[in-house]
Amino acid sequence: MKIFRNPDAMWREEDESRDQANQGLETGEDVADIGTSIILHSGKMHSLNILGTEIWKLLDGKSLDEIVASLQEGFEVEEEVLREDIKTFLSEMKEEGLIYEE
Amino acid sequence: MKNDLIPSSPLTVNWAITNKCNFACNHCYSRSDTKEELDLEMVFTILDTLSRAKVFSINFGGGEPLLRKNLLEIARRASDLGFAVSMNSNGYLIDRDMAGKLKEAGFAKVGISIDSPQPDIHDNFRGIKGSHARAIEALKYLKGAGIETSISSVICKINIEDVDGLVEMALSSEVANINFHNFKCSGLGFANKDILDLTPLEWRDFYIRAIELRKKVNGLRISLEDPIISQLGETGEETLVKGSVCGKLSLNIKSNGDITPCGFIPIVVGNICTDDLMKIWNESPVLHKMRNKEPQGKCLSCDSKSDCLGGCTARTLALTGDMNNPDPHCWKNES
Ligand code: SF4
Repeated sequence: MKIFRNPDAMWREEDESRDQANQGLETGEDVADIGTSIILHSGKMHSLNILGTEIWKLLDGKSLDEIVASLQEGFEVEEEVLREDIKTFLSEMKEEGLIYEE
Repeated sequence: MKNDLIPSSPLTVNWAITNKCNFACNHCYSRSDTKEELDLEMVFTILDTLSRAKVFSINFGGGEPLLRKNLLEIARRASDLGFAVSMNSNGYLIDRDMAGKLKEAGFAKVGISIDSPQPDIHDNFRGIKGSHARAIEALKYLKGAGIETSISSVICKINIEDVDGLVEMALSSEVANINFHNFKCSGLGFANKDILDLTPLEWRDFYIRAIELRKKVNGLRISLEDPIISQLGETGEETLVKGSVCGKLSLNIKSNGDITPCGFIPIVVGNICTDDLMKIWNESPVLHKMRNKEPQGKCLSCDSKSDCLGGCTARTLALTGDMNNPDPHCWKNES
């Protein structure tokens, strides 16, 4: 199954916050609360942290396995934990109509 | 998904592209504004600036945006740059041909101002006979052209008894959205506030009804943008910020390029032609104050304070002179 971003959703990365989160990752800080991108869709706004942002950027038709494999390189987490995180994120996104599958 | 984030630049820009108007509304907030307009080259330069700042959407207003020469060209450029382009119009100049041109120019959404389901009341209020009929026609043409439509109604004495009628009108016009704007008391709205504005208890009753309708009605979004409805356990738009969104998510550009936090706050924080947009966004003391309001008085003991933050900043400033005062429309402790 391929997963795509809803093309109607407007999104952008927040450069400064992203740099801050990247720095935090290097020094081992908890960066889960730093919003590094914003999505605006149907009058509703969403903020994604760095993991969410990286997942979001990959949603151009990749499968779950491909997303997991691709993120495994950047984030030092066990594959199973990462897979579960990604699945939770995707189901939230789907509920909000922000992604679709084919 | 996290809360309380001030974006690194505005997400939306409201732009009074002209102050010319073919109407004479009693509640106009911009009639006394400058008639000065930026030339096309400057408008294009500003679009580039907004694009670099990664602004998502531009909403053209005024005045009546259709009276701006080259509006279509400006919209085309904006939409080519990737902005979601919309406008607020009184609809008078939108016939089938114009609706098609607006679609071609890239308008994704157009909002039409209609203040009453009763044609004569609307026409009187807007100062132009036949304007209600033309506004309704405009909605039909726009929808036919494939543009998402909405109705904007300023809630005040003339329509307070007819909220259900406004919703019925929206349903029969098949718009996606009806925006109930709270009366801001800026510009002519201030001069006419005694005859137009509602009392706090009338506001409470209006919001109770509007929220009931919002829950009941299908196929129509009813937008209420007023932070004081958090007292009723509701929120306005689904945003990441609490309280007034003014100065936190969007900015307003006037026809001469002056930047204000919102269309209803007359404080100029800079000019888009001469000042650095990002510097204004990040360093303006006025925006800073708006983002860090410290509600006073009855707000201090209010359970809704963390969501409402003292209510609508524009209205509070216009009526009390201090944005940290409780919103004058707030009905807490009123009887
Ligand atoms: S008392 Fe203040 S914080 Fe509470 S609802 Fe009224 S304006 Fe908002």
